[in-house]
Amino acid sequence: MSYLKLRRNAGLALMMALLLPILAACGGSTTPSTSSNAPAATEAPAAQAPAEEATEAPAEGAEAPAEGASETPAGDIGEIPPAGPQGGLSKNGDLLVASVSSCDVDGYAGIFKEIAAIDSHTVQFTLCNIDPAFEAKLAFAAFQIHPSEYIVATGGTGDLIEKPIGTGPWKFESWNRGDSIVLVRNEDYWGEKPAFERLVIRWSTEAAQRLLELQSGNVDGIDNVGTEDIDVVKNDPNLQLLERPALSTFYLGLVNTSGPLQDEKVRQALAMAIDKQRIVDNFYPAGSSVANYFTPCTLDHGCSGEPWYEFNPEAARELLAEAGYPDGFDIDLSYRDVVRGYLPQPSQVAQDIQAQLKDNLNINVNINVMESGAFIDAANAGKLEGMFMLGWGADYPEVTNFLDYHFGASSVSFGTPYEDIVENLRKGASLATFEERDPFYVAANNAIREHVPMIPIAHGGSAVAFAGDVENANTSPLGNERFELMTPGARDTFVWMQNAEPTGFYCADESDGESFRICQRVSESLLSNEVGGTKPVPGLATECTPSEDLLVWTCKLRENVKFHDGSAFDANDVVMSYWNVWDASSPYHVGRTGDFTYFEALWGSFMNAK
Amino acid sequence: MTTSSPTLEAVAVRPPEALWRKTVRTFFRQRSAVIGLSIVVLLALVAIFAPLIAPYDPTRVLIGVEDVKRRDPPCIHILGCDSEKPQHILGIDGNVRDVFSRLIYGTRISFTIGFITVAIALIVGSILGSIAGYIGGWTDNIIMRLLDVLLAFPSLILSIAIVSVLGPSLINAMLAIAIVSIPAYARVIRATVLSAKQEEYVHAARTLGLDSGRILFRHILPNAITPLIVQATLGIGAAILETAALSFLGLGAQPPTAEWGSMLSAERNQLFTAPHLVFFPGLAIMLNVLGFNLLGDGLRDALDPRLRNY
Repeated sequence: MSYLKLRRNAGLALMMALLLPILAACGGSTTPSTSSNAPAATEAPAAQAPAEEATEAPAEGAEAPAEGASETPAGDIGEIPPAGPQGGLSKNGDLLVASVSSCDVDGYAGIFKEIAAIDSHTVQFTLCNIDPAFEAKLAFAAFQIHPSEYIVATGGTGDLIEKPIGTGPWKFESWNRGDSIVLVRNEDYWGEKPAFERLVIRWSTEAAQRLLELQSGNVDGIDNVGTEDIDVVKNDPNLQLLERPALSTFYLGLVNTSGPLQDEKVRQALAMAIDKQRIVDNFYPAGSSVANYFTPCTLDHGCSGEPWYEFNPEAARELLAEAGYPDGFDIDLSYRDVVRGYLPQPSQVAQDIQAQLKDNLNINVNINVMESGAFIDAANAGKLEGMFMLGWGADYPEVTNFLDYHFGASSVSFGTPYEDIVENLRKGASLATFEERDPFYVAANNAIREHVPMIPIAHGGSAVAFAGDVENANTSPLGNERFELMTPGARDTFVWMQNAEPTGFYCADESDGESFRICQRVSESLLSNEVGGTKPVPGLATECTPSEDLLVWTCKLRENVKFHDGSAFDANDVVMSYWNVWDASSPYHVGRTGDFTYFEALWGSFMNAK
Repeated sequence: MTTSSPTLEAVAVRPPEALWRKTVRTFFRQRSAVIGLSIVVLLALVAIFAPLIAPYDPTRVLIGVEDVKRRDPPCIHILGCDSEKPQHILGIDGNVRDVFSRLIYGTRISFTIGFITVAIALIVGSILGSIAGYIGGWTDNIIMRLLDVLLAFPSLILSIAIVSVLGPSLINAMLAIAIVSIPAYARVIRATVLSAKQEEYVHAARTLGLDSGRILFRHILPNAITPLIVQATLGIGAAILETAALSFLGLGAQPPTAEWGSMLSAERNQLFTAPHLVFFPGLAIMLNVLGFNLLGDGLRDALDPRLRNY
């Protein structure tokens, strides 16, 4: 017996010896976040020194040419690439100028005519048409400024996407794929430096896990508190809840090149067959509302025109029968299982839409859950079939941000663009006053209602939560939480947990809020938005003033600003950053996908587009 | 009976019958095996009579039909729940459907998955294993090395890969699990065939001039049934568990199908706010797998003469 016992114990010991390293490895993923939290801050310096050396090493290397560049603004960007058929980049002495030969040049429908460095700290934008949202767009994260030398050196490679260099309060340290992103304080930041040293970004698609991590003190703040968890956070004295105003729209996209959806009557029938009130009542938190237009009504022109169809399943059935589908049909519904402010419970909402369409129209919906990045890329490229669930959170508070991006000439998310919507949006965006613009937005919204490229369902309110000892906690309707203004108790590290992993950090070629939030910590745009609000305020430009005819905007740039690589920020960096995205023939016009969807959607079109 | 001293006549008359009787007796002597059998029989009855037991259609959304809220906790009238409220003994799920009805119908899906998956793996595995074992040589080498490649991958990872290629659906999940289960059956049958083909009755059959197919299927395979029954019973439990895992990952049953793994997955975020939505599907999976595993263990003990305790 004792021999048997001995064997059993030896077996157990062997199992433990095998299991322990595995357990340790599994726990490894959570260890860094825990250790990076509260007390670890005082222990950090030893481990941190090599990391700082590692990040500063290339910066010193890059500093030499940049120092010279601060005197002569052209910097070390080598030879100017040859201009394309519509225009290109040129030099005026040491100053860069990007321009198209004419606003009417064949095939060009963009807003920009010229972006020129007037002196080392002045940039002038000359426009083809008036753009009432010009300042709001300048503040947007997709139009950030990078060092011109870095664009030239990294254009076409992954460094601009994976190791961004900007002027922001945080320097990029590392991206541990699948786990976390680490940013360190920019000691040379031109504004108020962050009170803590390190900002760690983690993610989880699970609302329960995010809350658990916050409750257990592993993270200092979480995004999108689960609908059912809002009361839990409110009642927990160790946590604080900040509600984020609803400036977003959840919609059901209908691809007009796909099967029965090619028929407008089918799309209209779907629009009448979904009980949106039921979805909002059951799956959205307080502060949310049914969407009767694509744009929230708080924005000018958002609710111009006829409101959406009433829920009427009988009329929907008749319309579907008229279209030749009295017995329904089979269709795909794609979505990503990621919680967003506009869609707090993706899987439940998908199943409710499935149940409603089955009950009301006998349509069999096949649910297709996709990986987040692949889904966004497919949606932007118009590669999804059937229906898809997606939403939109405001990037800047203007109707063009909602309508032009989705229904403009360059948007193929819903299949082939609708000419009448495109035309009305183009005219509306080129006029200055509310009275002049409104008739075009009335027409555009009515055309959207008629063609039903999508069904607007809800304007979702959402909430973020922070540990109780985080001071100056803030949130923003644009999803731009300013961690640099917060103080996480006495800790030197702030850990934020969001819904999903960012896709890349050259945000000119991104469209995902999870990426924008990080980009806005590292890089900056010419203008910024007020904390917790949407109003444009000075950023890298201290002011941007228009000419009388609103066609020329002159931006005075902030002086003594340095990029993270030590190079000086000047007007040429602004021209280079804009030109690289604007000119499709630029050798550096390369991003993660190469679509640069925001530029085309918001500024009309690329120069030298193929 | 075993206490009486057997006579020569008794031995000559009783063997075939006594073997099964002993097996049954050994099986029923094991408490865990009886528990396993009871669970499986109970769940089988639930699966067969699901439409009679379930009070609601498992996919029916009760918004506007009854005065219930999403994720309502269980309401059982005899336990004090207000009799004016509709009775939902396991509560309401996130899409306002009756959890009890979904759980009952989920039993059907689980049984279907278990039996079909094991049947596919059993048939293909038996054919491959018996051919490999009987023919031997290069044929054996090629078949078994190919199956070794399948065995080299963790089964769940391989299933995920197969479903990713075929597309997520319950049928593809079953196929994937069947494919990854083939090697286990093939190895069992091959080992039995290898030992059986050395038996004298096989030599006798061969001497009598019977063809290989007849020898294999009429004489060898019936003698390999015992280990297959055990393997298949244990395999059903494993298949149910793996399908639940695939459905949890969104690769198996697709909404609105009431499948336990996908029910767990849909409500995984409500572990603290509505634990009943996670607890009951989890319990159902556990009971089902436990039942088949206990039954399989019991069968093995009863059928394996080396383990038989007289």
